[in-house]
Amino acid sequence: MKVRVEDLHFSYGKFSLHVAGQAFAEARVTSIVGPNGAGKSTFLKCLAAILPASRGSVFVDGQDLADLSGKSRARLVGYVPQEPAFTFNYSVLDFVLTGRAAFIPVFSSPSHRDVAAAEEALGYVGLAGFSARPFFELSSGERRLVLIARTLAQEPDILLLDEPTTFLDPRHETEILELIRRLAGEMGKTVIVTLHALDMAVKYSDEMVFMKGGGVVAAGRPGDILSEALLKAVYDIEMSILTMEGRQLIVR
Amino acid sequence: MSGNRNKRSTAAFVLAAVLPVVLLVLSLTIGVYRIPPKAVFTTVVGAVFPGGASGGPSPYADILFRIRLPRLLLALFAGAALAVSGASLQAIFKNPLVFEFSLGISYGAAFGAALSLVFLGRKVPAQAAAFVFAIVAVLAVLFIAGKAAAQVVTILLSGVIVSALFQALLSLVEFFANPYALQSLIFWLMGSLAEAEWKDLGVTLPVIGVGVTVLILLRWRMNVLSLGDDEARALGVNVKREKIVVIVLAALTTAAATAVTGVISWVGLIVPHLVRMAVGADNRKVIPLSAAYGACLLIVADDIARSVASFEIPIGILTSVVGIPFFIVLLKKSGKIWL
Repeated sequence: MKVRVEDLHFSYGKFSLHVAGQAFAEARVTSIVGPNGAGKSTFLKCLAAILPASRGSVFVDGQDLADLSGKSRARLVGYVPQEPAFTFNYSVLDFVLTGRAAFIPVFSSPSHRDVAAAEEALGYVGLAGFSARPFFELSSGERRLVLIARTLAQEPDILLLDEPTTFLDPRHETEILELIRRLAGEMGKTVIVTLHALDMAVKYSDEMVFMKGGGVVAAGRPGDILSEALLKAVYDIEMSILTMEGRQLIVR
Repeated sequence: MSGNRNKRSTAAFVLAAVLPVVLLVLSLTIGVYRIPPKAVFTTVVGAVFPGGASGGPSPYADILFRIRLPRLLLALFAGAALAVSGASLQAIFKNPLVFEFSLGISYGAAFGAALSLVFLGRKVPAQAAAFVFAIVAVLAVLFIAGKAAAQVVTILLSGVIVSALFQALLSLVEFFANPYALQSLIFWLMGSLAEAEWKDLGVTLPVIGVGVTVLILLRWRMNVLSLGDDEARALGVNVKREKIVVIVLAALTTAAATAVTGVISWVGLIVPHLVRMAVGADNRKVIPLSAAYGACLLIVADDIARSVASFEIPIGILTSVVGIPFFIVLLKKSGKIWL
């Protein structure tokens, strides 16, 4: 499904986000990059309708997200936070099952079908057999995978991931990014992900959106928009772009 | 490990179905005037099938049906109410240390009920006044905590402040109460089931019954509400509305119990924690099991309160004096994450 943002405004204290217009393509990975405080996570939360935009709209296949109920929106758009914020040590399966909330009436509990969907999602991210494990006993990399599995159990067409690779070692970082590519390539999801590692963003994204100071500075295919001047303008430091075996590498 | 936990869950549910009934029947025999189990049985049968083999009305009927049964039913319902409220509040505040006592609900309810008993001559039912001030207390806590309500320390500190305010207001009611009212007020405040009468239970039991049932129906939803608010919202949940429903139900059941029993603390903290230690954190298990074991705990506490000494020990004192060390021992013994 295509996502289109029109004249989106959000402000909190001194910070304000304004995205005049931005489109996200179907079955593609779009990464949002930029320095700390650029508004990447805020933009993502506005896309997920977690933060209410003060003006403007997010359209999914022409449908304004603001017109949808929470349930209908959750079946369309899934949000993967950086770290889950919870206190209780649920089992992995119980945690992933919370992704089924939009399908389960308020006074009901998950059915066999919900459990099957949760286990299938766990299998897809490579954590089959983890169902009974307590969440707190998982490694950081496994926790990120469980978070993605929960959002897959939600069965949304659009996946928003907030810095899913931060603090991960190179192996787990690659594992997550490969998974994200499969989500777009195999499952046809519209994937929008905020990333800090520019090299990885260039390698794994179909499209990139550069943000700074609450606005979009540049957007497009990495090969088309990436330049040393753009990096300097966004990050305020000198970076060089080297091309090696057809790949663009960013060197500081 | 999961196999063990599943077995333990099954055992916990079987026991939860049987134990409250067994304790209820056994407790009918306990009291200043001991009634042998056989006499309890024949009296109950005689009441259910009048004119049957047991002959005329039993001499024990009055004690059993007018004094002990209402008292034990109150213990069952109040125990379930306090434990389920505690477990529910812990889930939605994402805070294992929160319960009706630490949120100011208990003392808010106690103040409301005291106000009704002393000044309004029960023109306003104690349960209604208790509910109003229970809600006032929790709103005050949320107002004081403000945007930091999700933080463990902030919400507890706000609860301490509000509880202290309502304790002071309670002292004011005591100060102005006449000596006769004061005596019964103080005894009631220590927590007691001795005042249980059918006319009070006519309001209390249905309110607790409905409140606890709805909270049990919401048991899986509590898993979702115990996540971060942003996460729950992204999962399609109307976080604010559903949390309000849970808070109102917790305040309602606690107020209905407190209006009759006085302040019985710690049940809402101890029982959910014990249940989590045994079966894990899944609220699909924690909420209904807390109801059953909260009921059991209060029945046993009341049995002890009215049988160990020649006088009756206020049950609120007993749950604190016995409950807290018991809880500390369990905490030390478990030595692992059980939340």
